[in-house]
Amino acid sequence: MKHQENRSRPASLPDKQPPDASRLAAWLTPRRRRQWREYLTGYAMIAPAVLLIFVFGIFPVGFALYVSLHKWRLKRGDIIGLANYTDAIGPVAYLLVFGLGVGLLVWGILKIARLRTDSKRGGWPFLALNAPAILLAGAGLAFVRWTIVLLPHVLDIADKIRGVERTRALFIQLLGEAFSMEAVLAARVTMLWLILGAALAAALTLLRWPSPRTLQRQAELAVNWFLIGVAAILLGYVYGEMMAAYDLAVQSGEDPGFLAQFISIASGLILLFIGWKLWRRAEDQPSTPLFFLRLGAATLFIVGGWIMIGELPVVVAAGDPDLWVGLRATLFYALGTIPFQLGISIFLAVLLFQNLRGSQMFRVMFFMPYVTPVVASAAVFRQLFSNRQQAPVNAAMKALGLEPLQWLWEPKGVFQVMALKLGLENWPDWAAGPSLALAVIMTFSIWVFVGYNTVIYLAGLGNIPKDLGDAAEVDGASRWQVFRHITFPLLSPTTYFLTLISVIGTFKAFNHIWVMRLDAALGTTDTFSVVIFTEFFEKLRYGYASAMAFILFAIILALTLVNNKIQGARVFYG
Amino acid sequence: MASKASSNRFQFGRSIGRLPTRHVLIYLVLILGALIAMFPFFWMISTSLMSLGEAQGTRLLPTALHFENYANAWQEARFSLYIWNSVRITVITLAGELLFSVLAAYAFARIQFPGRDLIFALLLSTLMIPAMVTIIPNFLTVTWLGRIGPIKWINNWPALTVPFMGSIFSIFLLRQFFTQIPDELFDSAQIDGAGHLRFLWSVVLPLSKAPFMVIVVLSFIGAWNALAWPLLVTNSPDWRPVSVGLYSFIDEAGQMINLMMAGAFIVIIPILVLYFFTQKQFTESISRSGLKG
Repeated sequence: MKHQENRSRPASLPDKQPPDASRLAAWLTPRRRRQWREYLTGYAMIAPAVLLIFVFGIFPVGFALYVSLHKWRLKRGDIIGLANYTDAIGPVAYLLVFGLGVGLLVWGILKIARLRTDSKRGGWPFLALNAPAILLAGAGLAFVRWTIVLLPHVLDIADKIRGVERTRALFIQLLGEAFSMEAVLAARVTMLWLILGAALAAALTLLRWPSPRTLQRQAELAVNWFLIGVAAILLGYVYGEMMAAYDLAVQSGEDPGFLAQFISIASGLILLFIGWKLWRRAEDQPSTPLFFLRLGAATLFIVGGWIMIGELPVVVAAGDPDLWVGLRATLFYALGTIPFQLGISIFLAVLLFQNLRGSQMFRVMFFMPYVTPVVASAAVFRQLFSNRQQAPVNAAMKALGLEPLQWLWEPKGVFQVMALKLGLENWPDWAAGPSLALAVIMTFSIWVFVGYNTVIYLAGLGNIPKDLGDAAEVDGASRWQVFRHITFPLLSPTTYFLTLISVIGTFKAFNHIWVMRLDAALGTTDTFSVVIFTEFFEKLRYGYASAMAFILFAIILALTLVNNKIQGARVFYG
Repeated sequence: MASKASSNRFQFGRSIGRLPTRHVLIYLVLILGALIAMFPFFWMISTSLMSLGEAQGTRLLPTALHFENYANAWQEARFSLYIWNSVRITVITLAGELLFSVLAAYAFARIQFPGRDLIFALLLSTLMIPAMVTIIPNFLTVTWLGRIGPIKWINNWPALTVPFMGSIFSIFLLRQFFTQIPDELFDSAQIDGAGHLRFLWSVVLPLSKAPFMVIVVLSFIGAWNALAWPLLVTNSPDWRPVSVGLYSFIDEAGQMINLMMAGAFIVIIPILVLYFFTQKQFTESISRSGLKG
């Protein structure tokens, strides 16, 4: 009975071996054999690259998360939970983890609910498939736990092996010891039982409903159950931390006000989210009164949400000032470079596109700053904008009758410096702008990237059909009108691409800042990446730097999401 | 205006385009742009040929050409070693990167196997991860590998090359190219009894010079610009690449601006030579990647 079932299963599910060699031979028809050889060739060919990308591109994300939860200054210390994150951004870290947990929970539940309605319509067994899915999700969580328990023992091998003669046998022995530590074994037993249970349950459901769809639905359910599991762990952790802090505060007689703060801000954010959803759906309402009712409710939710998150700035301010300075510098850097880069390069591209004699030569010259190794050109700028009286830029200032400036040595804001020159003594701090040193670095960045953007814009211009502009000119449009109403809108995909690349570049910006940053500028030039690198490279705070890197990652992810929402509406793909 | 025949008006519009004053204006703007783009280069070369006193003054041109600055910079900072290091780092990385990427890209483009698209999407998603997230764990991994394994990783070629041999960008580029190769070629090769590897070696590779060129050029630029990672994994000149070498030379040279500029120019020359000789591919490669930070 069982064997018959086996044979009737499709070729893509060969996870159960027939009992003897003759059956295997019968199952392996020449066609199947060829197909399997093809599969194996494919896996073998991608194996080296996938292994390398996994080890140096995917695994590090998990490893960085692991490091960020430790006190890790050069050497690994104790696990300290979210302490690195709260050091960086204050108690907001808990709020974010709480939000992440709620988000994952809602996402997982919604997905599973959708699968349930789908099962009613498609007539497939929802409950029966959930059993193996939950087991599989549990196995996944157990596997994560096992790796986390195992990792420190594997890392310790490097210390144990120090000073001893390194042999293969010794390494294998130490690796074996790491794998058979008591805690590791315990975690492995749980994991193996769960895997076994999941495999058994999956096999049973497959026997009952033999179809590849069964497996696919199980996998889908398992992923969502896994997310729900992660959410439960996160929420449980935040709850535990909150309660512990509350008890501590009660015992020591302090005001446990932060709990109220936390609840207020968290529910404020949820209200804001609901309000936003209502606002967006308001247009779909069939009648005017209902529309206004929705809009009114949305406004109420949003106002309420704003009031409740009112304490957010206070909470945020508890974080690391270096990080806020870094974020501010990154923001200034993005706002001060991207619009100028794009504006100048679109202008130059339109001029070069006229294809006058010598255009090619100008193109080569404009592109040269981008080609030049950054450390070299940044070294040149460091001398051009030096604070010496005889440095080229200061000499030029003097020739124009202006006073020399400190440039890269100047931590004061650009606008503040200008105001001081104009005799305005008490210029407000919030309007100081980026430091003069950062402004020099921004100038450098514009100098470097204009050539690159021009080349991309030229390619974009080449893709615009020529007759469109000609037709408009026939209709009497001026050159400016043609540019404003035809060329510029048709270039919007290029502009969008360049903006995206530049924003990513802003967060990556490192080399030139590292060369041009001087102690005299008091860290005003350090963008987020540079702040992370100094924490890591100079202060050797690996755990803290990893936590900061994750905050950067979260910001980039959030920006990407927002960007994807906006992009569809704004970009015109002709 | 409206009464004029449209063909007339069209020619009228075109003839405005030929008026020299507009060209003069365009040229003025382009020349101004070129001056700004070129001035730092001019100043660097000019200063690198000055005596120390002139370099620290306000002169734009040297009174006499002090070529000995180059010899001095060359001796003091061991640029020959740094350039040689960067070249061998690039060559080793390229060898691994090309081999692994070609194999993987071919499989992703032309072989059907379960989970192919999922794996490819997963690999592509790693492009989103900021370098600062991976740099710390990778440093720990590399140190660990160096401690347990038979070869040194820190201060040696493995740490500088192996992490860059698996490049999703190269795989993506090559895959795009490989999917465009017509199926008929493969079918006829199969009839002749050639397997995947044979087909890859004798048909696909000879066709793929253009994407190879892109990868080679980008690797060179990457190697010449690499700073953060080599700073971490090299602590002696033995394997220090040019960027790190120049970076430490900037600090050592202090007030010797002429030597500093000579050093900067020495570092730039190889890349500029590459640029001028392979200008078209060079510009195209970089434009297509959009990855240089």
